[in-house]
Amino acid sequence: MNKRFPRSIRTLAISLAAIGILALALSGVFTSLSRLVLSPLTSIQTWVSQQYQGMESFISASRDIREIRQQNTGLEAENARMQAQIVELQQQLVEYEILSALLEFARANPENKYIGASVIGRDPSPFLNYIIINRGSDDGLKRGMPVVTQNGLAGRVVQVTASGARVSLITDPATKINIRIEPSRSAAVLSGSITGDLTLEQIPQEADVNPGNLILTSGLGGNYPANIIIGQITSVKSRENALFQSASVQPVTDFYDLNIVLVITNFNPVDISPLVPIDTP
Amino acid sequence: MSVILSIPVLSLITIFQSAVISRLPLNRGTADLMLVVLVAIALQKSVQDVWQWSIVGGLLTDFFSGLPFGLFTVSFLIVTWFAYFLRERIWRFSFLMQLLVVFSGTLITHGLSYLVLFLRGSSLQFNTVLQTVTLPSIILNFMLSLPVFIITQDIAQQINPLE
Repeated sequence: MNKRFPRSIRTLAISLAAIGILALALSGVFTSLSRLVLSPLTSIQTWVSQQYQGMESFISASRDIREIRQQNTGLEAENARMQAQIVELQQQLVEYEILSALLEFARANPENKYIGASVIGRDPSPFLNYIIINRGSDDGLKRGMPVVTQNGLAGRVVQVTASGARVSLITDPATKINIRIEPSRSAAVLSGSITGDLTLEQIPQEADVNPGNLILTSGLGGNYPANIIIGQITSVKSRENALFQSASVQPVTDFYDLNIVLVITNFNPVDISPLVPIDTP
Repeated sequence: MSVILSIPVLSLITIFQSAVISRLPLNRGTADLMLVVLVAIALQKSVQDVWQWSIVGGLLTDFFSGLPFGLFTVSFLIVTWFAYFLRERIWRFSFLMQLLVVFSGTLITHGLSYLVLFLRGSSLQFNTVLQTVTLPSIILNFMLSLPVFIITQDIAQQINPLE
């Protein structure tokens, strides 16, 4: 064959054949043919590849599971930490909202000076509606100072230690507060009770008192500053032959959910006990 | 159980009572953890210094409470005497004895508190106090009694095992 076709002719023939095949391929003649050939090849290659990957996964599974478990443990720890952080942030948000409301109250009543205090406990006896706060004489607290919340009056300081104080709430059975009813401006006395209910006593019969009327401190008696909101009248009891009317009061302060309070520090209670007449036989 | 142990243990109980238990009322009544613990201690035959525990518990509660000083000490001493009286006379006592003394103790503590406040001029209606304060407190004290009794019994056995 080498003798019959010189080398140059062979090269030329191969080049022409290659160019021809290339031209045919570019013109799309081989597309269907290549599809026919390559399609089963691709399927076979896919199957082989899948088998190989499966075997590889099987071989490396133990190592991967260990890594995944480690990652899972780490993520669980991270999750727990984030959950704790969420709870903490929610608590901070609640505290922030209370402080914000207290600040609003303090801004609305600029004539008073305040010290914020946290409620750290309640009296062990269920007979007394007292709370214990974390501010004491070291912070300038004195016996008799009024205590308020963002909504209104809460009580007053009855005992002070260096770092804490006991506050008698207005719902305590021993509480008696001179109040004023708005809009009639009638005077009356507010009493607490063992059940936590507030009652208005000694309302003059001629006073026009209705449910929904506001109750504010009157300042009489010198135990509380005037014009602090206490609550609203919910019902009025009036008998024809009685000297006075009485009424039930819904306090504006939620005494079950007291967490932070403000102590009014620039109010000096007046001790009027020497002026009270003593019954002599 | 050593009386020295009583000061930190009962201090923690007083703080827990004031900070947590007193904030969980049933109607107007609250559980008295100190009373329940002192009763459980007084009923343990292996514990000899029950009077000291009672005095320490009473003084600590008096310190935290706004009621006249000494009221809780006197109440707890009476309750401890009652528990001790039963313990020395009944050969084998059970958890029912704890419930009996807690029931009596709650009535004694509340009775004295009511009397003192009444004498001081507080307007307390007896029926209202019984229904809204005392009965709910007894229920709460009963609920606390079982875990407290078991824990106290275990601790007392660990510290002073009976022959």
